[in-house]
Amino acid sequence: MHKGNLRLGMVAILIIIGAVAICTIGSTAVQEPRGPSQEARADLITIDTLKTFGDIERPAVIFLHDLHTEALAKQDKDCKSCHLEVKTPPSLAKKNALSVKFKRLKDTSRKQVLNVYHTECIGCHKKSVKSGQKAGPVERCGKCHLEPDGAHVVSDRHPIKMDKSLHYRHIEATKDKAKDKTQCGLCHHKYDEAKEKLYYAEGKEGSCLYCHGDRTEKNRMSIQLASHYSCVDCHRRRQAKDPTLAEKNEIGPIKCAGCHDLQEQRKIKVIKDVPRIKRKQPDFALSQPKEKELSEKEKQDLVLMDPVPFDHKAHEANNETCRVCHHASLESCSEKCHSLNGQKDGDFIKLAQAMHQPQSKRSCLGCHNDRQQERACAGCHTFIKKGAGPDISACETCHMKSEGMATAEMKPEDIAREMLKARNPVRETFKDDDIPEKVVIKTLSDQYEGAEFPHRKIVKTLVKKTKDNKLATYYHREKGTLCQGCHHRSPPAKKPPRCSRCHGRPFDQNSLSRPGLKGAYHIQCLGCHKAMNLEKPKPRDCKVCHKEKKK
Amino acid sequence: MSITRRRFLGWMGAAGMGLTVGRPANAAGNKNFSGYPESIGVLHDMTRCIGCRKCEAACNEINKLPAPEQPFDDLSVLDNKRRTDATTYTVVNRYDGIQGADGPIYRKVQCNHCQEPACASACFVRAFNKTEKGAVTYDASVCVGCRYCMIACPFYVPAYEYNEPLEPRIMKCTLCYPRLMDGKLPGCVEICPKEALTFGKRDDLITIARERIRSFPEQYVQHIYGEHEMGGTNWLYVSGVPFSALGMREDLGVTPAPKLTSGALASVPVIAGLWPVLLTGIYAVSKRKDKIAAQERRQAVKAALTQASADAESKLSKALEQAELKHKRLLEVEVKKAVEEATANNEEENS
Repeated sequence: MHKGNLRLGMVAILIIIGAVAICTIGSTAVQEPRGPSQEARADLITIDTLKTFGDIERPAVIFLHDLHTEALAKQDKDCKSCHLEVKTPPSLAKKNALSVKFKRLKDTSRKQVLNVYHTECIGCHKKSVKSGQKAGPVERCGKCHLEPDGAHVVSDRHPIKMDKSLHYRHIEATKDKAKDKTQCGLCHHKYDEAKEKLYYAEGKEGSCLYCHGDRTEKNRMSIQLASHYSCVDCHRRRQAKDPTLAEKNEIGPIKCAGCHDLQEQRKIKVIKDVPRIKRKQPDFALSQPKEKELSEKEKQDLVLMDPVPFDHKAHEANNETCRVCHHASLESCSEKCHSLNGQKDGDFIKLAQAMHQPQSKRSCLGCHNDRQQERACAGCHTFIKKGAGPDISACETCHMKSEGMATAEMKPEDIAREMLKARNPVRETFKDDDIPEKVVIKTLSDQYEGAEFPHRKIVKTLVKKTKDNKLATYYHREKGTLCQGCHHRSPPAKKPPRCSRCHGRPFDQNSLSRPGLKGAYHIQCLGCHKAMNLEKPKPRDCKVCHKEKKK
Repeated sequence: MSITRRRFLGWMGAAGMGLTVGRPANAAGNKNFSGYPESIGVLHDMTRCIGCRKCEAACNEINKLPAPEQPFDDLSVLDNKRRTDATTYTVVNRYDGIQGADGPIYRKVQCNHCQEPACASACFVRAFNKTEKGAVTYDASVCVGCRYCMIACPFYVPAYEYNEPLEPRIMKCTLCYPRLMDGKLPGCVEICPKEALTFGKRDDLITIARERIRSFPEQYVQHIYGEHEMGGTNWLYVSGVPFSALGMREDLGVTPAPKLTSGALASVPVIAGLWPVLLTGIYAVSKRKDKIAAQERRQAVKAALTQASADAESKLSKALEQAELKHKRLLEVEVKKAVEEATANNEEENS
């Protein structure tokens, strides 16, 4: 073999190895390129209608609705320039409602939709450009069909939710001023399957979300469509009748940002002390299962927990919507869905579970557990383990006997009222003399002097924070319950045990989760401060709690 | 001399077959090491750490490390992320602005005392030893200073005394091994006021960690870091925010470091031992074959040549004989003719 050939071969191999090395080694260190700075807008609509007809070839178009509304307004054009009047359903047609679709009433075929968008969008852009105005793209597909990573806008749509103040403002605004009568039927309706018509059932109004879900079903539009037809179209019609309303800020918005932009939402006028929604709801209720399918004999043999008197008025005042508890309908929980043994309509969730599930936001216990995370409560409740079984002794707090308070003639509502009156909230703890004012913790003092702990001051602060809280004063059954926040794992007592009686050496194999004494002090004290978001003392300011020993 | 394609393929095949010879000798093999039974560890609860740096101070004092530039109660040091170095076995880092955390989170960084340490696997002089107690200890007397351990460690822990001219050492946390053998607690664990460091048997620590996560599900991420990472470590972490937000690698996988290299290392005996012998043998055999073939060819050529020359000679001699015979006969004929002519002439003269 010639020496020349050998050398050439080696060089070739080295080049190949070098190329491979450069290509593969660098590949893990490549960083994602930063996209252009993105604007967050509430009016971003993704036009991907063609997806219903199959795969789409180009990326979905990002359409900024408010931008177009404003541009058209400058040309003195209104919604009708893009939206046609609907012909079905009759309830909307008779109001001359405008379809939310663009320049069409139905999506019949891929070609039809495609042509509508292309012809109308590009046509309008071209017209605007001709008359000398700024307009959207007129050529080059890629300017509307932007690649996902090339988009300069990102959606920042905040849903607008049920709000008592807004609801009240709508009640007042839609009132028949002459007769001084509310017209709830303008928005609240029910559907008659047999007659295939919408009708208004007085006294049976409920949340839109009870029927209108996330997706449009056969005969029922999605909540997005329903709310836009119901809300936005009404605003539009009223504004068309009286254009001055918008300037006076007495009409709801028709632009996306008006409802969906966070800043705009904050600008919505809030009425304090809104009167209670009138729907003949009870002030008090006696919570008992309503099992309709039982015979009289079965009902007699039925063994139930004691009923729970329920202050419906107070709970209503504490929540913004009814759906917090009445998540599917405003009727009795156990009548249709959550029966004692569970049934299909209720997803087989039994009544006991529906009332007590600790992780659920809808159950009684779950909501109460949530409240324990409030700042005033968190100091003690952070340390209480979750997932432990039910605290049987707490059942009696809610399930009360009605003996002596109920007579046979009384209505359940009145029985509940009497039972609630009989409850004793515990608003105080032991007398001041029984609570040491200062406790000097010096069992472990080594580097530091003893810690002077302002014991009475802290107890009094806790009492002050909880005495007006109904939940706290009902569930803290005894005077010594508050003490158990720190003096835990022992029964409530006037003289609870000291920390050093149980906490000693750390890392004891016989009690794995019990910290040593030093750890116990610091975990308890500093942990409570952190949970209650106290500014001082700061956790690392050791000297604030215990002075350093002079060497 | 040029190699034929057939021969080249033959070599490759032989080498490949050579690799299949021998047991699949993986260093950690199919067996998983789940730690020595009474192995000790530390559980670091990052929801408890307040970043007071007392652990750093205690470590510095117990291990007689040089005093740092800024004292341990200077908390402005936490403004920068630090790592262990030649004079610091452990550091505390602060992580701000993590989504879901109300306030900064602090983490103590030190050797994780892996169950199957990468440093011990990389060290070819056995300077690192995974003790039964659980600590990974370092023997400076055998260390050659190659620093393969620094490259191997997935947590970037070992540090080197570059400034020490005569006897530089690798510096890393020892889990206070001497104190452990004395029945005492490691310095950092003993001093932590918040008991953010829980000490005990590794199995117990996993129980404790699981119990904490179960009892306070909103406060903790559902994962014990170090339970399986890199085959398991003796220093475990639980946290209230995702570990990746605290600078902890979540892409390490569960394979212990020695197992990652055992496959390649198992082929070293084959390549160093078997291949030279096998391939040299094949080479020698084929070379010999060539030699013999060449020799035989030469012999055959020689024989052929001799044969040919012998043949040629005999042919030549025969031809010469015949030519001589012909010549003789011709001569005879001429002589006869000449004699006849002479006789005829003579007769004419005489008459």
